[in-house]
Amino acid sequence: MKPLRIALAQLAPRLGGLDENLARHRALIGEARTGGAGLVVFPELGLTGYQLQDLAAEVAMTADDPRLQGLAAETRDISAVVSFVEESPDHRLFISAALLEDGEVRFIHRKLFLPTYGLFDERRFFAAGDRLRTVDSRLGVRLGLAVCEDFWHMAVPETLALDGAQMIINVSSSPGRDLAAVHEVGLGTAASWRNLLRTYAQLTTTFAIFCNRVGMDETISFWGGSEVIGPSGEAVFSAPLFDEGLYFVDVELGDVRRERIGLPLLRDERPELHLRELRRVLAERTETDLGDAGETSPQRPDHGRAERD
Amino acid sequence: MPPGEPRPDGEHGAPLFELPPELAIDTDVARRVTVDFIRNQLRQAGFTKGLLGLSGGIDSALVAYLAAEAVGPENLLCVMMPYRTSSPESEDHARLVVDRLGCRSDLVDISPIVDGYFGHDGQAGSGGEGALEAGSLRRGNFMARARMCTLYDRSVVWGGLVVGTGNKTESLIGYTTLFGDSACAFNPIGDLYKSQVRQVAVAVGVPEEIIRKAPSADLWPGQTDELEGGFTYPQLDRMLFWMIDKRRSDEELLAMGFAEAAVARVKRLVAVSEFKRQVPPVAKLGPRTTGVDYLYPRRRPGSAKR
Repeated sequence: MKPLRIALAQLAPRLGGLDENLARHRALIGEARTGGAGLVVFPELGLTGYQLQDLAAEVAMTADDPRLQGLAAETRDISAVVSFVEESPDHRLFISAALLEDGEVRFIHRKLFLPTYGLFDERRFFAAGDRLRTVDSRLGVRLGLAVCEDFWHMAVPETLALDGAQMIINVSSSPGRDLAAVHEVGLGTAASWRNLLRTYAQLTTTFAIFCNRVGMDETISFWGGSEVIGPSGEAVFSAPLFDEGLYFVDVELGDVRRERIGLPLLRDERPELHLRELRRVLAERTETDLGDAGETSPQRPDHGRAERD
Repeated sequence: MPPGEPRPDGEHGAPLFELPPELAIDTDVARRVTVDFIRNQLRQAGFTKGLLGLSGGIDSALVAYLAAEAVGPENLLCVMMPYRTSSPESEDHARLVVDRLGCRSDLVDISPIVDGYFGHDGQAGSGGEGALEAGSLRRGNFMARARMCTLYDRSVVWGGLVVGTGNKTESLIGYTTLFGDSACAFNPIGDLYKSQVRQVAVAVGVPEEIIRKAPSADLWPGQTDELEGGFTYPQLDRMLFWMIDKRRSDEELLAMGFAEAAVARVKRLVAVSEFKRQVPPVAKLGPRTTGVDYLYPRRRPGSAKR
């Protein structure tokens, strides 16, 4: 099988500069195509910048926005993953990643987990997605998309792999922090991400693609270090930290089959067991009032309401 | 600096400074981020030039090196602003930095400004008779603010932004003058403890004599930070690091060997100086209030002045 060439667009978006960023995406899609890439991946909120705050509403696009459709039109012979602020018909704002291919918006993933702690304040400005699906790409592989914090929750890569993904793609705007000499690459954040990506790729026996932005928004700097990890958990490619660039990497899609034959972890997964035990855990958490009584606990017991009534 | 080499040696093998191991940082990353930060902050605001007050101490020397790397020495103006009692050594060290970097410099004697207010040789100034008796705190704060006024005036002539030079240690304990030395357009080293400033200073090549000397605000002769505070910087940095960055409780700090009185004192210094680190509060009245529910990035398309 011919290797798939992936281009990682480790760019520094202009905060709030939607038009400028759209133009840059168009140029880089062209560059990726010229370089022979079948897939080009852009970072989280690459079309808008990250630290938007109240600007989010001003740079939001609906899925059928002509500007997004225009960008999609550039993908007749290449697939692209881009990320933007998506406004739903009922005017909720999401941090979304879209797969553009064959000239159209094929699929949209809305960020599921919005960090609102430490330096993050995403839940204040955005709504959380509530769907986790995979999508068949024209590349002949099934893709799973995730946005940054989504990968700090194990269920996300696991579910995507069980749903058939052979390649899980995480687009990020990960702020560099926890500067200390004890870390492998100087930044605690970078060291953590490198561990996560290798672990997920190995446990799900999929390719893990990570595209993280560089540059700065206000006080925070984004560290780049985009990576492609093979289904054995070994890095195929690691981009430099902090340097803007379009990085090309070739992957053998046949590695997924080879790895899964030799190491049939996915075959041996027990989702039914997992689901059964999760139901029990949720029920018990609700009974002891430890759990969140919201959407995660649809079967919340009535606590003897019938007797009291 | 790689791990396992916590004590960078000077030319003659003697340690340049004491470095608590937990404060060791990757100086390549720190340098990269702070230099990019300076470049970005200026560009976003539509400027190519910066200026700073160069005291002869390590903090402003380091920022001068970083700024020169970010925008080139020809785009950096270092302003030396001695008072008549300032140590001549401070000015020598500031000149050394300017010579090494090849950047532009200005010398502004702030004595007439300060003496014009407090008076001099028994002659009252515009501050009135009472100001003649002003103690070192009032005078020190006034000097810091006179330097701020000078820098901001020079920034108009120079056409650049004022780059801040305060470190994290002094900011956390409030060892700064509000709207004085802490005033700036942006600060590249405000999240580095003194012990970390020293490491980056070594990495970028700040002259050894500046790294080695005792830190001083030089607001009066013989003043040193460590004598005034009663702590050494390594002690203070360690305590702040565990207390703030690593969220250790009082009990945990005592168990780690920090003295009870010292912990109590530092906690108080941090708490009473909280106001110095924040934008002054505005009474909430309207539907959208700046800093409360009107939240925009400082810079966005269209916000640069030129």
